Amino acid sequence: MKEGFRQSMAWLHTWAGLVFGWLLLAIFLTGTLAYFKDEISHWMQPEVPSRSVSNETSLILAQSYLQQHAQGASRWFINLPDAREPGLSVMWQFPGKPGERGAFTQKLLDPATGAELQARDTRGGEFFYRFHFQLQMPHPWGRWLSTAAAMLMFVALISGIITHKKIFKDFFTFRPRKGQRSWLDGHNAVGVLVLPFHLMITYSSLVIFMSMVMPASILATYGNDTRAYFNEVFPASKTAPAAGKPAHLVQLEPLLEQAREQWPGGRVGRITVNNPGDANASVNVMRHGGDQVVRDFGNVVTFDGVSGKLLQVSPPQSTALAINGSFYGLHMGLFAGPLLRWLYFICGLAATAMIGTGLVIWLGKRQLKHAKSGVTPFELRLVEVLNIASMSGLVLAVAAFFWANRLLPVSLAERADWEVNSFFIVWGLSLLHAALRRGRKAWVEQLGLAALMLASVPLLDALTMPDVLDGFLVHGDWVRAGFDLTCLAAGLFLAWGAWKMSRPVAQPAVAARSRRAALETEVN
Amino acid sequence: MLLALLLCYPGFAGLCLSMDRHHAELLGYKPTARRRSGLRIGGWLLLAGSLWAAIAAAGWGLGLVQWCAALMLSALSLVLLLPYQPRLALLAAGLGLLVSPLAALAQ
Repeated sequence: MKEGFRQSMAWLHTWAGLVFGWLLLAIFLTGTLAYFKDEISHWMQPEVPSRSVSNETSLILAQSYLQQHAQGASRWFINLPDAREPGLSVMWQFPGKPGERGAFTQKLLDPATGAELQARDTRGGEFFYRFHFQLQMPHPWGRWLSTAAAMLMFVALISGIITHKKIFKDFFTFRPRKGQRSWLDGHNAVGVLVLPFHLMITYSSLVIFMSMVMPASILATYGNDTRAYFNEVFPASKTAPAAGKPAHLVQLEPLLEQAREQWPGGRVGRITVNNPGDANASVNVMRHGGDQVVRDFGNVVTFDGVSGKLLQVSPPQSTALAINGSFYGLHMGLFAGPLLRWLYFICGLAATAMIGTGLVIWLGKRQLKHAKSGVTPFELRLVEVLNIASMSGLVLAVAAFFWANRLLPVSLAERADWEVNSFFIVWGLSLLHAALRRGRKAWVEQLGLAALMLASVPLLDALTMPDVLDGFLVHGDWVRAGFDLTCLAAGLFLAWGAWKMSRPVAQPAVAARSRRAALETEVN
Repeated sequence: MLLALLLCYPGFAGLCLSMDRHHAELLGYKPTARRRSGLRIGGWLLLAGSLWAAIAAAGWGLGLVQWCAALMLSALSLVLLLPYQPRLALLAAGLGLLVSPLAALAQ
């Protein structure tokens, strides 16, 4: 062991970053998009009108709809519309066979009329949200892989801080138009300046999956009865069995006001009714998840479903649960208003940029060594292809997902699946394209196409949904307009990137060697 | 949150100017020792002030989150502005200081 501590940390940073970099980039970009999950879903289901109606009105409509259509269900779930999610969604579950979960049915209602909405079949923003921790894999595997990636991200962050020795001296330093130097400056700048976000998001992702990754403490306290642990974290999931005697369900809407009295200034998010129409019916009114920074799953007021009597108000969270809940809340950012939500989005983009620049630096530094001979070894070419597909290819796939939403016929069978398929098909094609074309050409072509597709999203929206102007001028649907404009801005930014890439870099021959030597010592 | 941002950005600008290299790049000469420490103390005071502003406006939980967001955003925008529009970067700091009393009154 002749190497110093810093060198070994640099080695760790370089290789942990490379091996998981591509996966992490995909996780961070889709996770960043998931901050606008509801807004993306709203754009992808333009049939859902954006209306502001009171919670009480929506709840009356939901109850009468469920009483007509969900007779004999064991549970009802009612999600009230809010400013971000305009649809009123109801779901019910029929009693399953013993030991099995009953099937769920979900419907989207117009919150002003209670009529069933015929919205196009789509995953919407939920796709990005699910992908960023399940990676489109069968149940436990995607979560395991993304948690492993999060662990490696944490390792890369800590080793990166140790490697970057001049963290305070270089705090304000960014020197553009200097080739490899600028990439390194940029990597350090987005890494250091947004460090609180990076640490928070990575650490909290590990806390969220802690029951899966590090179950030792749970097993030690609760033994094999892990249900008991989850019942303590999510107390609302405990329910009494049905009595088998029919009884009339109480009118739900007056319960809202009673529940809100328990939470000064709070909103109601969701209502569940257990055993509706039974003598043992109960109603849980849950607080809106975006009310507080600290997420509290147990913030529930329970009512008797027949008499409407208040049965139980959940006790305040214990400190341990509050700490857990604060990591959860900070990661998801549900509490964030528009400004803070945009900041979350920008921070997420900065994290994505940090991973991307890191990958570019790894390759650029090694390509310099082979620049003279003109022959690229296979492993460098492989990294280059994966870099292109994971960055410009992913953006292209996201654009294709949005385009598929507007171009696939509404009546197509398994339409939502085909939207997802088009995302992965385009991503796969971009990998193939990157393997066939020379590096710089592939970058320019993919970035150019992605720029074109994203920048024309407003046009696409206006052509396929002719009421778009009407939508935000008359009904004030700024969410959809905001989505269109954001796509346009992203398209313009990518076009700038493609243009930068298409121009040959002027390598000043004299200075290049000394600078390269300096980089060698620093980047490692 | 606006007041926190308006205080954070000039705070970082002050800390940036308190470093010899950046001071020389932006203003053309090296700062004296007194000027340097003045800028440094002023910068830290402004950052502390923005912490107070965020917590006073939104309470401890949300206030701390907003303060962190303001820190990251203002540092990021300062660093990205400096190489391209150095004058604008300093002008924005001055404007932030000028407008902040108004924002404080409005808060």
